[in-house]
Amino acid sequence: MKRRQAMAVQRTAICLALCLFLAPVLWLIMTAYEPSRAIQSTPPALWFRPTLSNFAAIAANFNLPRLVLSSFMLSAGSTLLSLLFGIPCGYALARTRSRSAVFIAYALLAIRGVPTVVTLIPFYLFMQKLGLLGTWWAVILMNATLSTAFVTWMMFSAFRAVPVEIEAAAVIDGCTAFGAFRRAALPLVQTSVIAAALLCMMFAWNDFLNPAFLTRAETRPLSVALLTAFGGNTTSGWGDLGAMAHLSTLPIVAVALLLNRYLVSGLTRGAH
Amino acid sequence: MAAPAVIHVAVFALYPILRGIGFSVFRMNLMQPWLHRFIGLRNYTDALSDPAIRHSLAVTLIFTAACVTAELALGLCLALLLWADNRFNRVAAILMLVPITVTPIVVGLIFRALLDPSFGQIGYWLCALHLAPPQGLLGDTHTALATMIAVDVWEWTPLSALILLAGLKSLPSDILDAAAIDGAGACARLLRIILPMMLPSLFLVLVLRVTDVFRTYDIVFAATGGGPGDSTNLLMLTAVKQGLQFFDIGYGSAISILMTLAIAIMAALIILVLRGLDRRYSAS
Repeated sequence: MKRRQAMAVQRTAICLALCLFLAPVLWLIMTAYEPSRAIQSTPPALWFRPTLSNFAAIAANFNLPRLVLSSFMLSAGSTLLSLLFGIPCGYALARTRSRSAVFIAYALLAIRGVPTVVTLIPFYLFMQKLGLLGTWWAVILMNATLSTAFVTWMMFSAFRAVPVEIEAAAVIDGCTAFGAFRRAALPLVQTSVIAAALLCMMFAWNDFLNPAFLTRAETRPLSVALLTAFGGNTTSGWGDLGAMAHLSTLPIVAVALLLNRYLVSGLTRGAH
Repeated sequence: MAAPAVIHVAVFALYPILRGIGFSVFRMNLMQPWLHRFIGLRNYTDALSDPAIRHSLAVTLIFTAACVTAELALGLCLALLLWADNRFNRVAAILMLVPITVTPIVVGLIFRALLDPSFGQIGYWLCALHLAPPQGLLGDTHTALATMIAVDVWEWTPLSALILLAGLKSLPSDILDAAAIDGAGACARLLRIILPMMLPSLFLVLVLRVTDVFRTYDIVFAATGGGPGDSTNLLMLTAVKQGLQFFDIGYGSAISILMTLAIAIMAALIILVLRGLDRRYSAS
């Protein structure tokens, strides 16, 4: 009996915590369907007739397909690039016996710890010189650099947990060194690869500071356009903002919840 | 196979970092290009004696200490609540991913709207009941920083809870069972057995959160923009303002390099302290 009471108390506490964590996000989703008159009312209205007018307003003011495309290209581009660089690098470092491998792995981790402003100013000038400023490439290169560092680190620890004997056996069976990597080692670290990809994507999709300074109007992603939708206007912008936040928040939250197993495994190993 | 990644990082991260260090010893403002000249460590000494920067540093340190402490404590409570492995707890742990995944800029804006004194669902009632100052929690210099701390805690407590939960689940159950049989109470088990064995997870949360909270930008930028006054003006906001909005590249670089040094020192200190603790516990 006492045990069941304790259980009930525990579950109530968990439910309360979940309410606190979810309510603000649910409120945001509601705002998107709230007519602006209801948003501005004092005291705040609790009930309203849902409308799609906010979506119509942002569709009229913004080139929505373009914004979604930008967000998508930036996330996909930097994720692909960092996996392409990071997986082989992590593998090579994990299979090298020299001490310098561990040093390189730690150095890459340290680079991720540097605040973005340090690199952002010189990077801005660098991209200007290369003529890439304002293009998707500028942001993709910037994000891919930070993400490569952490993909490498994650794959380094994942590959180290795979016994070398498996690859040795694959080589004896006639695989090339690359074949052993692709056919024997890579499938065993699949979970880590998906987790790393997911975290790269989340990082790039939610990133604000880099694209805010490195993109132009035609290449900016949703996260940057959001602030424009809100426009600093304290009352009229909230409906637009809610509608816009829908587009920027729901896809990434949906992906995260669907692939929660991988996300948790990535997050709890300290990569984020 | 490591070469492409290393070269990529060297070109696009190391080179800009070195350029940044280079800029920081010059007087270099893109708005006044005729004033460019080498000034040695002047930018650094200026930054360290600038009262605005000192204030920013104090705000950042308070923000970091408060956020990390609260996130560790609340995260540990949540992890202990979710420890038992059942369906309810698994679903709850998954739903906790939501605050972590929501775009940080959106997080800042959500709370800015909710806490607005005239139409915010929370802010209006708080003001009506005189529980918040008339300008709202984010509009008053006395409450803005504490409110931003609460927002960061809202966003990141789930992360620390998830990491600590993974740590709890990997504890060997035989030791815990033995302690329970020996008659150790819940408190004694937590303090003497669980926490010492959880040091690696606690250490991970501490390092991750300290280095990340110290460079918070998005949520504060979206919610208050550093104001009211300069009550929430974190170092990261100051550095971005100087370097990327006023184009005072030399000064902005100096501030951000000082930030990097501070982060490195804090991370090193945490690692040293925890190593010491680990040794003491494993010795006894």
